[in-house]
Amino acid sequence: MQITRRHLSLAAGMTAAVALTAGALIASTAQAAPATGTPAPAFSGVTSAGETISLADFAGKTVIMEWTNDGCPFVKKHYAAPPSNMQTLQNSAAADDVVWISVISSAEGEQGYADAVRANELTASRGAAPAHVVLDEAGTIGKLYGAKTTPHMFIITPDGKLVYDGAIDSKASSKVADIETASNYVTAALADLEAGKPVATPVTKPYGCAVKYK
Amino acid sequence: MIRAYRALMLALTGLALLGPVAAAQAADARRAEAELISERTSVIPGETVFVALKMTMDPGWHIYWRNAGDAGLPPQLILKDSASIAEDALGEMMWPLPKLLPVVDGEIMDYGYDDEAVFALALTVPVDAVGEVRIEAVADYLICESICIPETADVSLVLPVGEAVENVPAGELIGAWIAKVPGSFEGEARIDDAAAPWTLSLSLAGGFPEGAGIRFFPFEHEISHPADQPQRFGPNGASLLLTPDRAGQVGDALEGIIRVDAPGAEPVGYVIRAERGEALAGTADAAFVPVAGVGEVAGLSWQGLLSLAGFAFLGGLILNLMPCVLPVLSMKALGMVSAAASGHAGELRSHGLWYTGGLLVSFAALALVILAVRQATGFATLGFQLQHAPTVAVLALIMFAVGLWLMGFFELGSSITNTGSGLASRGGAVGAFSTGVLAAVVGAPCVGPFLGAALGAVMSQPAPAVMAVFLAMGFGMALPFLVLSFVPGLHRVLPKPGKWMDTLKQFFAFPMFLTAAWLLSVLADLAGAGAVGWTLAGATALGFAVWIGRGAGPVRRGAAIAALIAAFALPAVQANVPAGKAGGEPSVPAYAEAAWSPSQVDALLAEGRPVFVDFTASWCASCQVNKLTTLSSKRVKAAFEAADVAFLVADFTQKDPAIADELKRRGRAGVPMYLWYPAGTSEPQILPELLTQELVIGLVEGR
Repeated sequence: MQITRRHLSLAAGMTAAVALTAGALIASTAQAAPATGTPAPAFSGVTSAGETISLADFAGKTVIMEWTNDGCPFVKKHYAAPPSNMQTLQNSAAADDVVWISVISSAEGEQGYADAVRANELTASRGAAPAHVVLDEAGTIGKLYGAKTTPHMFIITPDGKLVYDGAIDSKASSKVADIETASNYVTAALADLEAGKPVATPVTKPYGCAVKYK
Repeated sequence: MIRAYRALMLALTGLALLGPVAAAQAADARRAEAELISERTSVIPGETVFVALKMTMDPGWHIYWRNAGDAGLPPQLILKDSASIAEDALGEMMWPLPKLLPVVDGEIMDYGYDDEAVFALALTVPVDAVGEVRIEAVADYLICESICIPETADVSLVLPVGEAVENVPAGELIGAWIAKVPGSFEGEARIDDAAAPWTLSLSLAGGFPEGAGIRFFPFEHEISHPADQPQRFGPNGASLLLTPDRAGQVGDALEGIIRVDAPGAEPVGYVIRAERGEALAGTADAAFVPVAGVGEVAGLSWQGLLSLAGFAFLGGLILNLMPCVLPVLSMKALGMVSAAASGHAGELRSHGLWYTGGLLVSFAALALVILAVRQATGFATLGFQLQHAPTVAVLALIMFAVGLWLMGFFELGSSITNTGSGLASRGGAVGAFSTGVLAAVVGAPCVGPFLGAALGAVMSQPAPAVMAVFLAMGFGMALPFLVLSFVPGLHRVLPKPGKWMDTLKQFFAFPMFLTAAWLLSVLADLAGAGAVGWTLAGATALGFAVWIGRGAGPVRRGAAIAALIAAFALPAVQANVPAGKAGGEPSVPAYAEAAWSPSQVDALLAEGRPVFVDFTASWCASCQVNKLTTLSSKRVKAAFEAADVAFLVADFTQKDPAIADELKRRGRAGVPMYLWYPAGTSEPQILPELLTQELVIGLVEGR
């Protein structure tokens, strides 16, 4: 009856294979996006000025990352002048020695894609004042951070911890008029950091257009 | 693409500059048409009617569900000051069952609608309404293709106040979309969030349909929207694995809807509220199966197909151990013992290849048959062979015949167990090929219970995907023996042939007979005792054919063939006669439902039974709401049954003078109308147009 015995060991082997596969499958569904309160993922990227920057370059400074797509109505809402909401935030960040990095993760051919020339044109024509515009057409940095929408905001402390991940403000709409009555989460988080307090609202649901990944 | 987009932006900017003059043209440039429709063209004060926001999207563009998912915004209907009604006269927007809108695989998932969506709202006509009811509103929505555009549209609806006049086409449309609004879940839901991934368990009496795919759509953002939701089934329901969002936490309960996609059926939605706690018993007995394609607009992704094929492959491997397959494979093993003994490694190899070929061809044929059935009927469930009585009868007879053969009652010419001489190369190839075919034929019934969910998911997929999954399963089934035939070290440990092989072969007849007995019990469920009797008679004819076919001569051979044909044909024909029991789930309502007529009401009242009359029509949206929320709910059905209520339906879909008279007699302009005759009364109570379960159950229980 060796046949039967072989069948038994075959059965054991296959059961193990099924269990392993199921386990791997379940494990792979867990998202790898960073959690607030933990170190922000290290990245490096090429800017519209042609420099290569990495997160480590800004150790000791607060960093704000803004995912953007100039064609998206939600981004347009915050760049509309007046009230120039995003530009105002960028200017006050620059004044406070906070590093503002705009990231464009739109793939080539998709809405919002920009090469260096177009990215610089956009900055000039909108009166924007980011410290850097990172061109991430491969979507590597976007997926590393789990950026879902434009805009989607992240704040990183001088010691490299991610402390805010989410929407720019509390009114999920594309209407410029809503900016005035919304509470701005980025301003609030920066105020908390300034006061030496933990960020009161570290995670919100970002709203906007889906990032136009490849 | 970029050029087109720039042109579009230029055009939009230009329009914005031109201002109001261009407004009419801007409306034409919209990607959706928004319209307010009503089930009435004229209304009476105090009544509740259904109006709806009807959205027709351009091809490729979509709008969003109440929870848009990772990106997007739900549409809104904002009442203008110029409307003649107060804001609270319009009820909440009713959200039909959404689809998954995968934006970036594994990264961004949205929920919404494409093509057309109708959002119904209950309008309570003010009691003091005179002249007309004027709804003037703005439909404010975000519409997306690969890019998103916020659009607004002025919509209005004017309803004269006077008599109730139906708008039949609009009522039909609104009713059909209300039927798509997720109803209340008649089971229990529980969320176990002790560890990630969370387990959402759903218990449902009678279970979910076979081969169903289930997807949870949350109202909020507790879970990662793009993550797969592997599902498994148990006798009492199903469970899903949910991946929490980064900051995801369950408050008191996790709320949302589940969308159930069963093969060949319209998708159904249920609103669930899952309290925190341990998983419900009996909802997770089988292995987790990743489900792809549930409610997705796009087809199965490559990854989804690959994982499905991977599972099918594993399933094929495991099929080797199924009781209905193992005996056949053992015959195969016996053949290999012979080949090993004769020392022809090359033959052993070609044997393995032929066997694999036989299996693959059979699985391909099975896939083609399923595709053909799906094409012909628009419907195919897995294990459908076992729901078709003639197929079951013939399978039982084949099992019986194989048992007879294993017992040695007759020999087959190219038998692979012809152990005396080694394998003739030709006979070996044919024998191996047909063993492959045989393994597939007897193995197929085992496929259903084992991989029902995974194959159910693939059933709604394009033909190549179905074929790929079936071939993967066939290859999985063939692999162990293919490996045995190619690895010399393995077949050397095969035992030496001897008399024990005959004994073993005979022993394997008994699992075959047992399988036949089980198939007979399935047949009894499907087609009744008569069909079982005919199949047993067929088995007798089979025995007779074997007995008489042993001798030589044309007469005997002719008789054997005739008996053989009769053995299979008669049970198949008899089993096809419909019996009292159908193959599917019994869908008879718990209480008796009959057509309404005044004399029927009198007769039932004379019997002393309470009577409930439902005056309804397919174009009546309110009627569908009441059916959905109240009349078809299990609680109400149970209450009706307990009180022996006669449930009569007066269907006014086609104008019926008797029904029209009755409506007029009760002072009603139209349907819905609900009449309740308590036992022992002759005059009914007229119930409100909008029913609740509490109201109806209270009446029935005499509270």
